Amino acid sequence: MQRDTIIPESRDTAFRDLIIRSPGGEKLLTCMQCGICAGSCPVSHEMDYTPRQLVRMIQLGLKKEVLNSNTIWICTDCFSCSVRCPRGIYPTELMETLKPIAMKEGIRNRNAKFDNVFADVVKKNGRASEFLLISKYSISEPGMIKQAPFGLALISKGKLPLSIDKMEDARELEAIFRIGEKTGEEAKVKKETVPEKPENVNEEEVTEK
Amino acid sequence: MKYSYYPGCAQHGTAVDYRMSVRAVMSRLGIELEEIRNWNCCGALHVDERTTKVALSARTLSAAKGLDVATPCNLCYSNLMRANTALEDVSLKNSVNGALTTKYEGNVKPKHLLEVVVKDMGLVKLAEHVKKPLKIKAVPYYGCLLTRPENKFDSPENPKSLDNLIAALGAEPVKYYYKTKCCGGPILITNEDLALTLARDLLVMAKESGADCMVVTCPMCHLQLDAKQRAVEAKFNVKIDMPIIYFTQLIGLAMGIAPAELGLDKHIVPTDKFIAKAGR
Repeated sequence: MQRDTIIPESRDTAFRDLIIRSPGGEKLLTCMQCGICAGSCPVSHEMDYTPRQLVRMIQLGLKKEVLNSNTIWICTDCFSCSVRCPRGIYPTELMETLKPIAMKEGIRNRNAKFDNVFADVVKKNGRASEFLLISKYSISEPGMIKQAPFGLALISKGKLPLSIDKMEDARELEAIFRIGEKTGEEAKVKKETVPEKPENVNEEEVTEK
Repeated sequence: MKYSYYPGCAQHGTAVDYRMSVRAVMSRLGIELEEIRNWNCCGALHVDERTTKVALSARTLSAAKGLDVATPCNLCYSNLMRANTALEDVSLKNSVNGALTTKYEGNVKPKHLLEVVVKDMGLVKLAEHVKKPLKIKAVPYYGCLLTRPENKFDSPENPKSLDNLIAALGAEPVKYYYKTKCCGGPILITNEDLALTLARDLLVMAKESGADCMVVTCPMCHLQLDAKQRAVEAKFNVKIDMPIIYFTQLIGLAMGIAPAELGLDKHIVPTDKFIAKAGR
Protein backbone atom coordinates (compact mmCIF):
# COMPACT_ATOMS: atom_id res chain seq x y z
CA MET A 1 0.00 0.00 0.00
CA GLN A 2 1.41 3.32 -1.06
CA ARG A 3 0.68 6.32 1.10
CA ASP A 4 0.98 9.80 -0.30
CA THR A 5 2.29 12.63 1.78
CA ILE A 6 0.53 15.90 1.18
CA ILE A 7 2.87 18.83 0.65
CA PRO A 8 1.75 22.46 0.52
CA GLU A 9 2.45 22.65 -3.21
CA SER A 10 -0.12 19.97 -3.94
CA ARG A 11 -2.87 22.01 -2.29
CA ASP A 12 -5.07 24.30 -4.33
CA THR A 13 -7.15 26.57 -2.13
CA ALA A 14 -8.90 28.19 -5.11
CA PHE A 15 -10.26 24.79 -6.08
CA ARG A 16 -11.30 24.08 -2.50
CA ASP A 17 -13.08 27.44 -2.28
CA LEU A 18 -14.83 26.90 -5.61
CA ILE A 19 -16.32 23.63 -4.37
CA ILE A 20 -17.19 25.07 -0.96
CA ARG A 21 -19.04 27.93 -2.69
CA SER A 22 -21.07 25.56 -4.87
CA PRO A 23 -24.66 24.74 -3.75
CA GLY A 24 -24.50 22.70 -0.54
CA GLY A 25 -20.72 22.98 -0.61
CA GLU A 26 -20.38 24.90 2.66
CA LYS A 27 -21.50 21.76 4.51
CA LEU A 28 -18.42 19.90 3.29
CA LEU A 29 -16.46 21.77 5.96
CA THR A 30 -18.49 20.04 8.67
CA CYS A 31 -17.61 16.48 7.59
CA MET A 32 -16.36 14.48 10.59
CA GLN A 33 -15.13 11.53 8.53
CA CYS A 34 -17.65 9.06 9.98
CA GLY A 35 -17.72 7.11 6.71
CA ILE A 36 -21.44 6.32 6.57
CA CYS A 37 -21.34 7.53 2.94
CA ALA A 38 -18.71 4.95 2.02
CA GLY A 39 -20.53 2.26 3.99
CA SER A 40 -23.85 3.03 2.28
CA CYS A 41 -22.39 3.25 -1.22
CA PRO A 42 -23.20 0.22 -3.43
CA VAL A 43 -20.10 0.82 -5.56
CA SER A 44 -17.45 2.26 -3.21
CA HIS A 45 -15.39 -0.92 -3.57
CA GLU A 46 -14.72 0.08 -7.19
CA MET A 47 -13.72 3.65 -6.39
CA ASP A 48 -10.12 4.74 -6.07
CA TYR A 49 -11.23 7.06 -3.27
CA THR A 50 -14.40 6.54 -1.25
CA PRO A 51 -16.82 9.48 -0.89
CA ARG A 52 -15.49 10.05 2.63
CA GLN A 53 -11.94 10.34 1.34
CA LEU A 54 -13.00 12.60 -1.49
CA VAL A 55 -14.62 15.07 0.93
CA ARG A 56 -11.44 15.23 3.00
CA MET A 57 -9.37 15.70 -0.15
CA ILE A 58 -11.56 18.64 -1.14
CA GLN A 59 -11.09 20.20 2.29
CA LEU A 60 -7.37 19.92 1.66
CA GLY A 61 -7.61 21.29 -1.88
CA LEU A 62 -6.18 18.24 -3.64
CA LYS A 63 -7.53 19.33 -6.99
CA LYS A 64 -5.57 17.00 -9.25
CA GLU A 65 -6.34 13.87 -7.25
CA VAL A 66 -10.02 14.76 -6.87
CA LEU A 67 -10.63 15.58 -10.53
CA ASN A 68 -8.73 12.54 -11.75
CA SER A 69 -10.44 10.08 -9.41
CA ASN A 70 -12.85 7.56 -10.88
CA THR A 71 -15.13 8.15 -7.87
CA ILE A 72 -16.94 10.98 -9.65
CA TRP A 73 -17.88 8.72 -12.55
CA ILE A 74 -18.54 5.42 -10.79
CA CYS A 75 -21.20 6.98 -8.55
CA THR A 76 -24.60 5.69 -9.70
CA ASP A 77 -26.55 8.67 -8.28
CA CYS A 78 -28.45 6.42 -5.86
CA PHE A 79 -28.40 9.02 -3.03
CA SER A 80 -28.00 6.37 -0.29
CA CYS A 81 -25.13 8.37 1.20
CA SER A 82 -27.06 11.62 0.98
CA VAL A 83 -30.08 10.54 3.03
CA ARG A 84 -27.80 9.15 5.73
CA CYS A 85 -25.08 11.77 6.21
CA PRO A 86 -25.38 13.11 9.78
CA ARG A 87 -24.05 16.48 8.59
CA GLY A 88 -26.56 16.85 5.78
CA ILE A 89 -23.92 16.59 3.08
CA TYR A 90 -25.09 15.26 -0.29
CA PRO A 91 -22.06 13.43 -1.71
CA THR A 92 -24.15 12.55 -4.79
CA GLU A 93 -24.60 16.24 -5.56
CA LEU A 94 -20.90 16.77 -4.91
CA MET A 95 -20.19 14.34 -7.76
CA GLU A 96 -22.58 16.32 -9.95
CA THR A 97 -20.71 19.51 -9.06
CA LEU A 98 -17.38 17.91 -9.88
CA LYS A 99 -18.35 16.39 -13.24
CA PRO A 100 -18.55 19.60 -15.31
CA ILE A 101 -15.42 20.93 -13.60
CA ALA A 102 -13.50 17.77 -14.44
CA MET A 103 -14.69 17.94 -18.04
CA LYS A 104 -13.61 21.58 -18.34
CA GLU A 105 -10.23 20.59 -16.97
CA GLY A 106 -9.85 18.15 -19.81
CA ILE A 107 -10.86 14.88 -18.18
CA ARG A 108 -12.06 12.51 -20.92
CA ASN A 109 -13.53 9.09 -20.29
CA ARG A 110 -16.51 6.99 -21.36
CA ASN A 111 -18.86 8.66 -18.88
CA ALA A 112 -17.87 12.18 -19.87
CA LYS A 113 -18.32 11.20 -23.50
CA PHE A 114 -21.75 9.70 -22.87
CA ASP A 115 -22.87 12.75 -20.88
CA ASN A 116 -21.75 15.04 -23.72
CA VAL A 117 -23.64 12.96 -26.28
CA PHE A 118 -26.73 12.94 -24.03
CA ALA A 119 -26.69 16.71 -23.52
CA ASP A 120 -26.25 17.28 -27.27
CA VAL A 121 -29.17 15.04 -28.17
CA VAL A 122 -31.45 16.73 -25.64
CA LYS A 123 -30.37 20.20 -26.69
CA LYS A 124 -31.18 19.47 -30.34
CA ASN A 125 -34.30 17.33 -30.06
CA GLY A 126 -35.60 18.09 -26.59
CA ARG A 127 -35.89 14.40 -25.85
CA ALA A 128 -33.52 11.49 -25.37
CA SER A 129 -34.22 8.82 -27.99
CA GLU A 130 -32.35 5.74 -26.83
CA PHE A 131 -31.45 4.60 -30.35
CA LEU A 132 -29.99 7.98 -31.27
CA LEU A 133 -28.04 8.16 -28.00
CA ILE A 134 -26.51 4.74 -28.44
CA SER A 135 -25.71 5.29 -32.12
CA LYS A 136 -23.95 8.58 -31.44
CA TYR A 137 -22.08 7.21 -28.46
CA SER A 138 -21.01 4.11 -30.40
CA ILE A 139 -19.23 6.23 -33.01
CA SER A 140 -16.52 7.02 -30.49
CA GLU A 141 -16.77 3.72 -28.59
CA PRO A 142 -16.27 0.91 -31.09
CA GLY A 143 -16.60 -1.67 -28.28
CA MET A 144 -20.33 -0.91 -28.30
CA ILE A 145 -20.67 -3.19 -31.34
CA LYS A 146 -20.86 -6.03 -28.80
CA GLN A 147 -24.23 -4.59 -27.75
CA ALA A 148 -25.71 -5.14 -31.21
CA PRO A 149 -27.54 -8.37 -30.27
CA PHE A 150 -29.02 -6.60 -27.26
CA GLY A 151 -30.21 -3.79 -29.51
CA LEU A 152 -31.75 -6.28 -31.91
CA ALA A 153 -33.57 -8.04 -29.07
CA LEU A 154 -35.09 -4.72 -28.05
CA ILE A 155 -36.00 -3.85 -31.64
CA SER A 156 -37.72 -7.22 -32.10
CA LYS A 157 -39.94 -6.39 -29.10
CA GLY A 158 -40.76 -2.94 -30.45
CA LYS A 159 -38.79 -1.32 -27.63
CA LEU A 160 -36.21 0.58 -29.63
CA PRO A 161 -37.90 2.79 -32.24
CA LEU A 162 -35.47 3.87 -34.93
CA SER A 163 -37.27 7.16 -35.46
CA ILE A 164 -36.10 10.17 -33.48
CA ASP A 165 -38.43 11.38 -30.75
CA LYS A 166 -38.58 15.16 -30.92
CA MET A 167 -40.37 18.03 -29.25
CA GLU A 168 -42.71 19.86 -31.60
CA ASP A 169 -40.67 22.95 -30.87
CA ALA A 170 -37.30 22.68 -29.11
CA ARG A 171 -36.19 26.31 -29.59
CA GLU A 172 -36.57 27.16 -25.91
CA LEU A 173 -33.98 24.54 -25.02
CA GLU A 174 -31.23 26.55 -26.70
CA ALA A 175 -31.71 29.27 -24.11
CA ILE A 176 -31.85 26.68 -21.32
CA PHE A 177 -28.52 25.19 -22.35
CA ARG A 178 -27.02 28.63 -22.90
CA ILE A 179 -27.60 29.70 -19.27
CA GLY A 180 -25.79 26.55 -18.20
CA GLU A 181 -22.83 27.34 -20.41
CA LYS A 182 -22.73 30.87 -18.98
CA THR A 183 -22.74 29.67 -15.35
CA GLY A 184 -20.08 27.15 -16.26
CA GLU A 185 -17.82 29.89 -17.60
CA GLU A 186 -18.12 31.89 -14.40
CA ALA A 187 -17.31 28.86 -12.29
CA LYS A 188 -14.23 27.89 -14.26
CA VAL A 189 -11.42 26.91 -11.96
CA LYS A 190 -8.99 29.74 -11.52
CA LYS A 191 -5.29 29.27 -12.00
CA GLU A 192 -3.79 27.00 -9.39
CA THR A 193 -2.60 28.88 -6.36
CA VAL A 194 -0.55 27.81 -3.42
CA PRO A 195 -1.48 29.36 -0.08
CA GLU A 196 1.00 31.97 1.03
CA LYS A 197 1.07 30.70 4.57
CA PRO A 198 0.51 26.96 4.40
CA GLU A 199 -1.42 25.51 7.27
CA ASN A 200 0.17 22.77 9.27
CA VAL A 201 -0.87 19.79 7.20
CA ASN A 202 2.44 18.69 5.75
CA GLU A 203 2.52 15.31 7.38
CA GLU A 204 -1.15 14.57 7.17
CA GLU A 205 -2.14 11.36 5.50
CA VAL A 206 -5.58 11.21 3.99
CA THR A 207 -5.28 9.27 0.84
CA GLU A 208 -4.76 5.60 0.37
CA LYS A 209 -4.20 3.81 -2.87
CA MET B 1 -58.79 13.08 -10.21
CA LYS B 2 -56.94 14.96 -12.91
CA TYR B 3 -53.22 15.49 -13.39
CA SER B 4 -50.83 17.03 -15.83
CA TYR B 5 -48.90 14.08 -17.20
CA TYR B 6 -45.18 14.00 -17.82
CA PRO B 7 -44.35 10.61 -19.40
CA GLY B 8 -40.59 11.02 -19.78
CA CYS B 9 -38.50 9.87 -22.72
CA ALA B 10 -38.41 6.15 -21.94
CA GLN B 11 -42.17 5.86 -22.44
CA HIS B 12 -41.59 6.60 -26.12
CA GLY B 13 -38.89 3.94 -26.40
CA THR B 14 -37.78 1.05 -24.22
CA ALA B 15 -40.72 1.40 -21.83
CA VAL B 16 -43.48 0.97 -24.40
CA ASP B 17 -44.94 -1.77 -22.17
CA TYR B 18 -45.09 0.64 -19.23
CA ARG B 19 -46.80 3.19 -21.47
CA MET B 20 -49.41 0.67 -22.59
CA SER B 21 -50.20 -0.41 -19.05
CA VAL B 22 -50.44 3.18 -17.78
CA ARG B 23 -52.89 3.95 -20.55
CA ALA B 24 -54.93 0.81 -19.92
CA VAL B 25 -55.10 1.10 -16.15
CA MET B 26 -55.27 4.77 -15.18
CA SER B 27 -58.41 5.71 -17.12
CA ARG B 28 -60.23 2.66 -15.71
CA LEU B 29 -59.23 3.76 -12.21
CA GLY B 30 -60.71 7.19 -12.91
CA ILE B 31 -57.33 8.90 -12.93
CA GLU B 32 -57.23 11.40 -15.77
CA LEU B 33 -53.80 12.17 -17.18
CA GLU B 34 -53.47 15.13 -19.53
CA GLU B 35 -50.12 14.94 -21.28
CA ILE B 36 -48.11 18.15 -21.13
CA ARG B 37 -47.84 19.63 -24.62
CA ASN B 38 -44.34 19.83 -26.08
CA TRP B 39 -42.69 18.39 -22.95
CA ASN B 40 -38.91 18.09 -22.76
CA CYS B 41 -36.43 15.60 -21.28
CA CYS B 42 -35.60 16.13 -17.56
CA GLY B 43 -31.89 15.58 -18.27
CA ALA B 44 -31.97 12.21 -16.48
CA LEU B 45 -28.61 11.65 -14.78
CA HIS B 46 -26.56 12.84 -17.73
CA VAL B 47 -27.04 16.57 -18.10
CA ASP B 48 -24.38 17.65 -15.66
CA GLU B 49 -24.62 21.42 -15.61
CA ARG B 50 -26.85 22.27 -12.66
CA THR B 51 -28.62 25.43 -13.85
CA THR B 52 -29.55 23.77 -17.15
CA LYS B 53 -30.74 20.65 -15.39
CA VAL B 54 -32.95 22.60 -12.99
CA ALA B 55 -34.27 24.69 -15.90
CA LEU B 56 -35.26 21.56 -17.85
CA SER B 57 -37.50 20.45 -14.97
CA ALA B 58 -38.72 23.98 -14.27
CA ARG B 59 -39.92 24.26 -17.87
CA THR B 60 -41.95 21.06 -17.45
CA LEU B 61 -43.47 22.18 -14.16
CA SER B 62 -44.30 25.63 -15.52
CA ALA B 63 -46.59 23.95 -18.07
CA ALA B 64 -48.75 22.27 -15.42
CA LYS B 65 -51.81 24.57 -15.75
CA GLY B 66 -52.57 24.52 -12.04
CA LEU B 67 -52.62 20.74 -11.75
CA ASP B 68 -50.17 18.42 -9.96
CA VAL B 69 -47.69 16.82 -12.35
CA ALA B 70 -47.75 13.02 -12.39
CA THR B 71 -44.88 11.00 -13.84
CA PRO B 72 -44.30 7.24 -14.12
CA CYS B 73 -40.50 7.49 -14.03
CA ASN B 74 -38.29 7.49 -10.93
CA LEU B 75 -35.62 9.61 -12.63
CA CYS B 76 -38.08 12.24 -13.84
CA TYR B 77 -39.74 12.28 -10.42
CA SER B 78 -36.51 12.86 -8.53
CA ASN B 79 -35.38 15.56 -10.95
CA LEU B 80 -38.69 17.41 -10.64
CA MET B 81 -38.57 17.16 -6.84
CA ARG B 82 -34.97 18.31 -6.69
CA ALA B 83 -35.64 21.21 -9.05
CA ASN B 84 -38.31 22.55 -6.69
CA THR B 85 -35.88 22.40 -3.77
CA ALA B 86 -33.07 23.99 -5.77
CA LEU B 87 -35.37 26.82 -6.87
CA GLU B 88 -35.76 27.98 -3.26
CA ASP B 89 -32.48 29.72 -4.07
CA VAL B 90 -33.73 33.04 -5.46
CA SER B 91 -30.70 33.83 -7.62
CA LEU B 92 -30.91 30.39 -9.24
CA LYS B 93 -34.63 30.90 -9.79
CA ASN B 94 -33.97 34.23 -11.49
CA SER B 95 -31.37 32.84 -13.86
CA VAL B 96 -33.56 29.81 -14.65
CA ASN B 97 -36.56 32.04 -15.34
CA GLY B 98 -34.35 34.16 -17.57
CA ALA B 99 -34.34 31.28 -20.02
CA LEU B 100 -38.00 30.27 -19.74
CA THR B 101 -40.90 31.63 -21.77
CA THR B 102 -43.40 30.72 -19.05
CA LYS B 103 -41.88 31.73 -15.70
CA TYR B 104 -41.97 29.21 -12.89
CA GLU B 105 -42.55 30.08 -9.23
CA GLY B 106 -41.60 26.69 -7.76
CA ASN B 107 -45.11 25.90 -6.53
CA VAL B 108 -46.21 22.91 -8.64
CA LYS B 109 -46.30 19.50 -6.97
CA PRO B 110 -44.64 16.61 -8.81
CA LYS B 111 -46.04 13.17 -8.00
CA HIS B 112 -44.94 9.70 -8.98
CA LEU B 113 -47.78 7.60 -10.38
CA LEU B 114 -47.31 5.16 -7.51
CA GLU B 115 -47.98 8.03 -5.11
CA VAL B 116 -51.07 9.01 -7.11
CA VAL B 117 -52.49 5.49 -6.76
CA VAL B 118 -51.38 4.71 -3.21
CA LYS B 119 -51.89 8.09 -1.57
CA ASP B 120 -54.24 10.26 -3.64
CA MET B 121 -56.58 7.47 -4.67
CA GLY B 122 -55.87 5.09 -1.80
CA LEU B 123 -55.57 1.32 -1.58
CA VAL B 124 -59.09 0.79 -0.25
CA LYS B 125 -60.45 2.27 -3.46
CA LEU B 126 -57.93 0.38 -5.55
CA ALA B 127 -59.04 -2.91 -3.98
CA GLU B 128 -62.59 -2.21 -5.18
CA HIS B 129 -61.30 -2.50 -8.74
CA VAL B 130 -59.73 -5.93 -8.18
CA LYS B 131 -61.60 -8.60 -10.10
CA LYS B 132 -59.02 -11.39 -9.88
CA PRO B 133 -56.96 -11.35 -6.67
CA LEU B 134 -53.44 -12.37 -7.67
CA LYS B 135 -52.31 -15.61 -6.06
CA ILE B 136 -48.62 -14.90 -6.35
CA LYS B 137 -45.61 -13.74 -4.39
CA ALA B 138 -43.96 -10.55 -5.53
CA VAL B 139 -40.75 -8.65 -4.72
CA PRO B 140 -41.47 -4.97 -4.05
CA TYR B 141 -38.50 -3.23 -5.65
CA TYR B 142 -38.47 0.55 -5.27
CA GLY B 143 -35.04 1.39 -6.65
CA CYS B 144 -33.23 4.56 -5.69
CA LEU B 145 -34.83 7.68 -6.99
CA LEU B 146 -38.45 7.02 -6.09
CA THR B 147 -37.70 7.82 -2.47
CA ARG B 148 -34.26 9.46 -2.55
CA PRO B 149 -33.12 12.11 -2.10
CA GLU B 150 -36.62 13.31 -1.32
CA ASN B 151 -40.24 12.34 -1.71
CA LYS B 152 -43.54 13.22 -0.12
CA PHE B 153 -45.07 9.83 0.49
CA ASP B 154 -42.72 7.13 1.77
CA SER B 155 -39.60 6.34 3.77
CA PRO B 156 -36.25 6.49 1.95
CA GLU B 157 -34.87 3.65 4.08
CA ASN B 158 -37.74 1.20 4.35
CA PRO B 159 -40.58 2.20 2.06
CA LYS B 160 -43.86 0.28 2.30
CA SER B 161 -46.16 1.76 -0.33
CA LEU B 162 -45.40 -0.82 -3.01
CA ASP B 163 -45.58 -3.65 -0.45
CA ASN B 164 -49.05 -2.42 0.50
CA LEU B 165 -50.12 -2.07 -3.12
CA ILE B 166 -49.08 -5.66 -3.85
CA ALA B 167 -51.08 -6.84 -0.83
CA ALA B 168 -54.13 -4.82 -1.91
CA LEU B 169 -54.11 -6.75 -5.20
CA GLY B 170 -54.34 -10.05 -3.30
CA ALA B 171 -50.68 -10.96 -3.80
CA GLU B 172 -48.02 -11.49 -1.15
CA PRO B 173 -45.14 -9.02 -0.92
CA VAL B 174 -42.02 -10.99 0.06
CA LYS B 175 -39.38 -9.74 2.46
CA TYR B 176 -36.65 -8.25 0.31
CA TYR B 177 -33.67 -6.58 1.87
CA TYR B 178 -32.48 -4.93 -1.32
CA LYS B 179 -35.73 -3.08 -1.96
CA THR B 180 -33.97 0.27 -2.30
CA LYS B 181 -30.55 -0.88 -3.44
CA CYS B 182 -29.26 0.42 -6.77
CA CYS B 183 -29.85 -1.80 -9.84
CA GLY B 184 -26.89 -0.34 -11.74
CA GLY B 185 -29.04 1.11 -14.52
CA PRO B 186 -27.35 4.53 -14.67
CA ILE B 187 -23.94 3.01 -15.45
CA LEU B 188 -25.17 0.29 -17.80
CA ILE B 189 -23.72 1.92 -20.90
CA THR B 190 -20.45 3.15 -19.46
CA ASN B 191 -19.52 0.45 -16.93
CA GLU B 192 -21.37 -2.70 -17.87
CA ASP B 193 -19.37 -5.11 -15.70
CA LEU B 194 -20.21 -3.23 -12.53
CA ALA B 195 -23.80 -2.59 -13.63
CA LEU B 196 -24.40 -6.31 -14.23
CA THR B 197 -22.87 -7.19 -10.87
CA LEU B 198 -25.35 -4.92 -9.09
CA ALA B 199 -28.24 -6.40 -11.10
CA ARG B 200 -27.03 -9.92 -10.31
CA ASP B 201 -27.18 -9.25 -6.57
CA LEU B 202 -30.77 -8.03 -6.82
CA LEU B 203 -31.94 -10.82 -9.10
CA VAL B 204 -30.32 -13.64 -7.12
CA MET B 205 -31.83 -12.29 -3.90
CA ALA B 206 -35.21 -12.07 -5.62
CA LYS B 207 -34.91 -15.64 -6.84
CA GLU B 208 -34.00 -16.87 -3.36
CA SER B 209 -37.02 -15.13 -1.88
CA GLY B 210 -39.26 -17.54 -3.78
CA ALA B 211 -41.10 -14.72 -5.54
CA ASP B 212 -42.91 -15.19 -8.84
CA CYS B 213 -41.97 -11.72 -10.07
CA MET B 214 -40.26 -8.47 -9.19
CA VAL B 215 -42.43 -5.36 -9.26
CA VAL B 216 -40.80 -2.10 -10.41
CA THR B 217 -41.82 1.54 -10.74
CA CYS B 218 -39.07 2.79 -13.06
CA PRO B 219 -38.27 2.22 -16.75
CA MET B 220 -34.52 2.25 -16.07
CA CYS B 221 -34.82 -0.49 -13.41
CA HIS B 222 -36.97 -2.48 -15.85
CA LEU B 223 -34.45 -2.17 -18.66
CA GLN B 224 -31.66 -3.26 -16.38
CA LEU B 225 -33.48 -6.16 -14.66
CA ASP B 226 -35.58 -7.45 -17.57
CA ALA B 227 -33.74 -6.61 -20.78
CA LYS B 228 -30.30 -7.24 -19.27
CA GLN B 229 -31.29 -10.33 -17.31
CA ARG B 230 -29.99 -12.67 -19.98
CA ALA B 231 -26.64 -10.87 -19.90
CA VAL B 232 -26.52 -11.35 -16.12
CA GLU B 233 -27.29 -15.05 -16.51
CA ALA B 234 -24.56 -15.48 -19.12
CA LYS B 235 -21.91 -13.49 -17.28
CA PHE B 236 -22.37 -15.18 -13.90
CA ASN B 237 -23.56 -18.55 -15.14
CA VAL B 238 -26.78 -18.45 -13.14
CA LYS B 239 -30.38 -19.23 -14.09
CA ILE B 240 -32.75 -16.50 -12.92
CA ASP B 241 -35.80 -16.38 -15.18
CA MET B 242 -37.52 -13.74 -13.08
CA PRO B 243 -40.35 -11.76 -14.72
CA ILE B 244 -40.00 -8.02 -14.06
CA ILE B 245 -43.44 -6.43 -13.86
CA TYR B 246 -44.37 -2.75 -13.80
CA PHE B 247 -46.71 -1.96 -10.90
CA THR B 248 -49.25 -0.72 -13.45
CA GLN B 249 -49.15 -4.11 -15.20
CA LEU B 250 -49.75 -5.84 -11.87
CA ILE B 251 -52.76 -3.63 -11.19
CA GLY B 252 -54.02 -4.34 -14.72
CA LEU B 253 -53.79 -8.10 -14.26
CA ALA B 254 -55.72 -7.90 -11.00
CA MET B 255 -58.38 -5.83 -12.77
CA GLY B 256 -58.72 -8.57 -15.37
CA ILE B 257 -57.26 -6.56 -18.25
CA ALA B 258 -55.84 -8.67 -21.10
CA PRO B 259 -52.04 -9.18 -20.80
CA ALA B 260 -51.42 -7.96 -24.36
CA GLU B 261 -53.14 -4.65 -23.61
CA LEU B 262 -50.71 -4.26 -20.71
CA GLY B 263 -47.68 -4.87 -22.94
CA LEU B 264 -46.75 -8.05 -21.08
CA ASP B 265 -45.74 -9.71 -24.37
CA LYS B 266 -43.07 -7.09 -24.92
CA HIS B 267 -40.73 -8.19 -22.14
CA ILE B 268 -37.44 -9.95 -22.80
CA VAL B 269 -37.99 -12.42 -19.94
CA PRO B 270 -41.20 -14.31 -20.85
CA THR B 271 -44.19 -13.55 -18.65
CA ASP B 272 -46.62 -16.29 -19.78
CA LYS B 273 -46.02 -18.73 -16.91
CA PHE B 274 -46.28 -15.89 -14.45
CA ILE B 275 -49.54 -14.68 -16.00
CA ALA B 276 -50.97 -18.20 -15.90
CA LYS B 277 -50.12 -18.52 -12.22
CA ALA B 278 -51.42 -15.06 -11.36
CA GLY B 279 -54.73 -15.75 -13.05
CA ARG B 280 -55.33 -19.13 -11.48
